[in-house]
Amino acid sequence: MDNMYLPYKMFIEKITEEAPLVRTYRLKFKNPADEEKFSFKAGQFGEYSIFGEGESTFCIASSPTRKGYIECTFRVAGRVTKALANCEEGDEIGFRGPYGNTFPIDDWKGKNLLFIAGGIGLPPLRCVIWNCLDLRENFRDFTILYGARSVQDLVYKHELEEWNNRPDVNLFTTVDPGGETPDWKGKVGFVPSILKEVSPSSHNTIAAVCGPPIMIKLTLPVLFELGFKEDNIFTTLENRMKCGIGKCGHCAVGPYYVCKDGPVITYKELKELPQEY
Amino acid sequence: MEYKLIKPEKIQDFVNALIANGKQVLAPKQKKDKVFFSLIRSFDEIAMDFIQTAFSAKSAVFPKCEELYSFEKNGKDTILNNPPAPQHDTVVFGMRPCDGAAFDYLATFFLKENPDYHFKMRYDKTILIGLTCPTGDEFCFCTSVGISPSDTRGSDLLLTKTENGYFVEIITEKGEKLVGQFSDFFEQTNTIDKTKYTANIQKRFDSSALKEKISGAFNWERWEETSLPCFGCGTCAFSCPTCTCFDIQDEANLVGGARYRIWDTCALGIFTKHASGHNPREKQSERWRNRILHKFLYTDEQFGTLSCVGCGRCIRNCPAELSIIEQVNAIMEG
Repeated sequence: MDNMYLPYKMFIEKITEEAPLVRTYRLKFKNPADEEKFSFKAGQFGEYSIFGEGESTFCIASSPTRKGYIECTFRVAGRVTKALANCEEGDEIGFRGPYGNTFPIDDWKGKNLLFIAGGIGLPPLRCVIWNCLDLRENFRDFTILYGARSVQDLVYKHELEEWNNRPDVNLFTTVDPGGETPDWKGKVGFVPSILKEVSPSSHNTIAAVCGPPIMIKLTLPVLFELGFKEDNIFTTLENRMKCGIGKCGHCAVGPYYVCKDGPVITYKELKELPQEY
Repeated sequence: MEYKLIKPEKIQDFVNALIANGKQVLAPKQKKDKVFFSLIRSFDEIAMDFIQTAFSAKSAVFPKCEELYSFEKNGKDTILNNPPAPQHDTVVFGMRPCDGAAFDYLATFFLKENPDYHFKMRYDKTILIGLTCPTGDEFCFCTSVGISPSDTRGSDLLLTKTENGYFVEIITEKGEKLVGQFSDFFEQTNTIDKTKYTANIQKRFDSSALKEKISGAFNWERWEETSLPCFGCGTCAFSCPTCTCFDIQDEANLVGGARYRIWDTCALGIFTKHASGHNPREKQSERWRNRILHKFLYTDEQFGTLSCVGCGRCIRNCPAELSIIEQVNAIMEG
């Protein structure tokens, strides 16, 4: 039996400053044998650690179609993320995973896809966005709506530009009123109101939503108004987490463990759970 | 099932032989006004007359603080090492049958899905010898949760004290192996009716009626009122034989250190608090509710078993004098 708490040893290949206090690390396996046996699917997460400081939970923000590395995007918030932020390229990081369930993208073939993200909620969707873009011919209309508090808070700025330039992606970016700059070309307004304005068709469409709780809460009614069914709306949950494998108890929502039964969940499943997330 | 008898004068020799054989024996020992599971060096130290120990013996398989692995810094690299495996067998001697049932739950919880390396390493080296309860107190309620005071569930051997000595039920292969290894102390016997030697523990509530009532109890309006005295110290969880929650913490210096898991509890506010400050269980009543529903509803859904064995420790030890029996009865009343 394996000690499931032993992490893979990885190193930081590349650091990208995304926004104030938000960074993306590209990690590679130190041991080629680990890399060979490792695989994951869109929606899964891991435990990233600095030995001596602790572990932090983030989704894998890169796509499984991009082999040889994984990426995570995090905001500096506590002890471990502070220690992570002090790392430089080449430094060692521990990684346990992949954990949790996945977005059922095989079931999404032949459908329109709508991704709605707010702030630091884009990283969990970026994985599935790139996964689907790399299999673009399998899907129909491809729409991304992304909002942040201000222009400087938008993450993945280069990729937003790339998506914006692709004829096969409809990208809408927005910032909260007051967060715009003089040369801002996107929209100004909160995500739910921009969604109303854009009004994508719910016919044969899957919606994946991730962002702060208040954004999700106000976006759902708009989706229902547009005719989205509860089992066609996906989100990815977040709860305080320690072990990642259904043992430590921290992330439990009733009998449901975000770490092993989630984090990906449809609205239909979510509304059956006690509101403890 | 096979049965044996340990004559009254042989019980002492049996336990002392276990110790002489190099086994670590954890047994009830009197300390001031309470009885605790302690590592004993001789049978004389054991308190055989007790209602219940203050804490369970679960730390034999799930220690309060346990190394997950250690690490040594080596320049830009880190060397990771598994924790040392226990060298000796541990015999838990004289635990109450409710604690045996709790060990059974722990084994299901830790080993059924994503089997836990650390738990297994200790559990495999642990032999559980239960002791039938001849008496109980007003805090005992095992019979309300489907366990009897002479239940064999989870024990390797169960001893029941009779006029002729200790009647031994051999429940598992591990138990059989131990009896084989120390056969000098065991004699042949026929089966007996244990009822005469078993405490009569009153049913305090009907668990099947509770099952119906509790499935819709999340939105019950009396959680706040019934949990008012609770100040979230976590004593209930730390003395509970089935609570399994833990935190993970590092301890290190410049050259290395280790990652540990440490008992944690949903009674504490920080347990669910996000780094953003958002807390899904903001109020103490919500934490209390989680504890009750976890014991009587959630693990039933997960594993088909309640995770309360009716040992009564959370009631005896609660500094706010909260009672899980009263709580359950309040839910039943509606």
